[in-house]
Amino acid sequence: MIFPTVAIMLAAIGTFLLLPHRHGALRPGKLHLIGAALAAVGLVGLLSAYLSFSGPFLSGLFLMVFSLFAVFGGVLTVTSRSPIDSALWFASVILSTTGLFLLAGAPFLAAGTVIVYAGAIIVTFLFVIMLAQMEGKAAYDRAARSPGTSTFTCFLLFWCLVYSLLSFRADYTDQGKKALLPPRDYTAFYVVQPDFPTFRVFSAANRSTSQFVDAEGNRKPHVAGLGETLFTDYLITVELVGALLFIALVGAVAITDPKLPIRPAGPTAPSGLAA
Amino acid sequence: MPAEPEILALNALMNYLLVGGALFVLGMLGFLARRNMIVMFLSAEMMLQGTALTLVGFGRYHGNWTGQVFTIVILTVAACEASIALALIVVLYNRRTSLDITLWREIREPELECPVKDEVLEREEAEEIEPIPGPESYPQLTPAGIEPAHPGQAWTERRS
Repeated sequence: MIFPTVAIMLAAIGTFLLLPHRHGALRPGKLHLIGAALAAVGLVGLLSAYLSFSGPFLSGLFLMVFSLFAVFGGVLTVTSRSPIDSALWFASVILSTTGLFLLAGAPFLAAGTVIVYAGAIIVTFLFVIMLAQMEGKAAYDRAARSPGTSTFTCFLLFWCLVYSLLSFRADYTDQGKKALLPPRDYTAFYVVQPDFPTFRVFSAANRSTSQFVDAEGNRKPHVAGLGETLFTDYLITVELVGALLFIALVGAVAITDPKLPIRPAGPTAPSGLAA
Repeated sequence: MPAEPEILALNALMNYLLVGGALFVLGMLGFLARRNMIVMFLSAEMMLQGTALTLVGFGRYHGNWTGQVFTIVILTVAACEASIALALIVVLYNRRTSLDITLWREIREPELECPVKDEVLEREEAEEIEPIPGPESYPQLTPAGIEPAHPGQAWTERRS
């Protein structure tokens, strides 16, 4: 566990150096370079040590490239001073994530994510141009809210996640394997006791419509299989989600009512800081 | 007898969990540490992306569509969240003429003590900073003439 701890600590220190100062103080460019180098060393070390791939060489290569692009895009989204840069790096995060979706065998989701988030990012651009850019570089973009504590908390959480992942990975004994059995195997295991509650839950969650393969063991076509399970097993979910979209539309229209009284007495941005 | 899970499938799942966890943690960092509301919104979206990655990885590991269906639900909830969040950002911007989230700190419970020291006090306590040329300093241009008279109300202040 020493190597991942050191790698995560390096990444945390590097990210802290890349974040804005808490009072918006200027940092020399050298510190930025050191921070970027530390974060890069930590994250590349962690990912290259613990991403494992088998099968064709190209899919392993793409897995590595997409993972690195996603994580670096994430770091740069969080640490960029300009919201336009943040939005652009967030686009790279989205594209890498859709690449990972493709590698995991979810092409419909990859296409859907690109379509949905392309619109979302363009809207974010419009908002940045409308709201942020007319004041020029804002002071609140160059100052962070308690960056040290936030970095410590978040990377502590990351260390806990990596620790639990790796401590499971090291355990190839029978007990360790049993901990992550696919539920369809539990269904086969409990079939002798049809009244057992675990069996009823697992068999309800593992109907034939929700599996990748049909009864003969052939793989279903992707979108057809997804649509089959979406409109049989998850019909109520689909209806609820549709209702939720409609409610969100009504809510968004309601809270941006232009006739509301605007600008009551209260603190506004200090004028010296906006420039 | 339950079949043994393949070690290779387990390793593929680990890849997705690792990257998904990293994206989630980075999004959380951005949400906690940044002050620009638009960047906070992007960070929240990044946390959703990390969760979606883990769900797709688990769905592939278990051999069913559940993870992908969950991710579709996450996509629609993210769309709802985006519409509401951007509408809120417009309303909050109209009230304070700024995207700074720290201007809204008085809406917390009044009897609760502030866990972080007040930033105005902090700013006053902090020593003067000499600008150093670097990535965070911006060029200063000299004004090239007399500033013309502005027509009445600026368009940002017009409300009708």
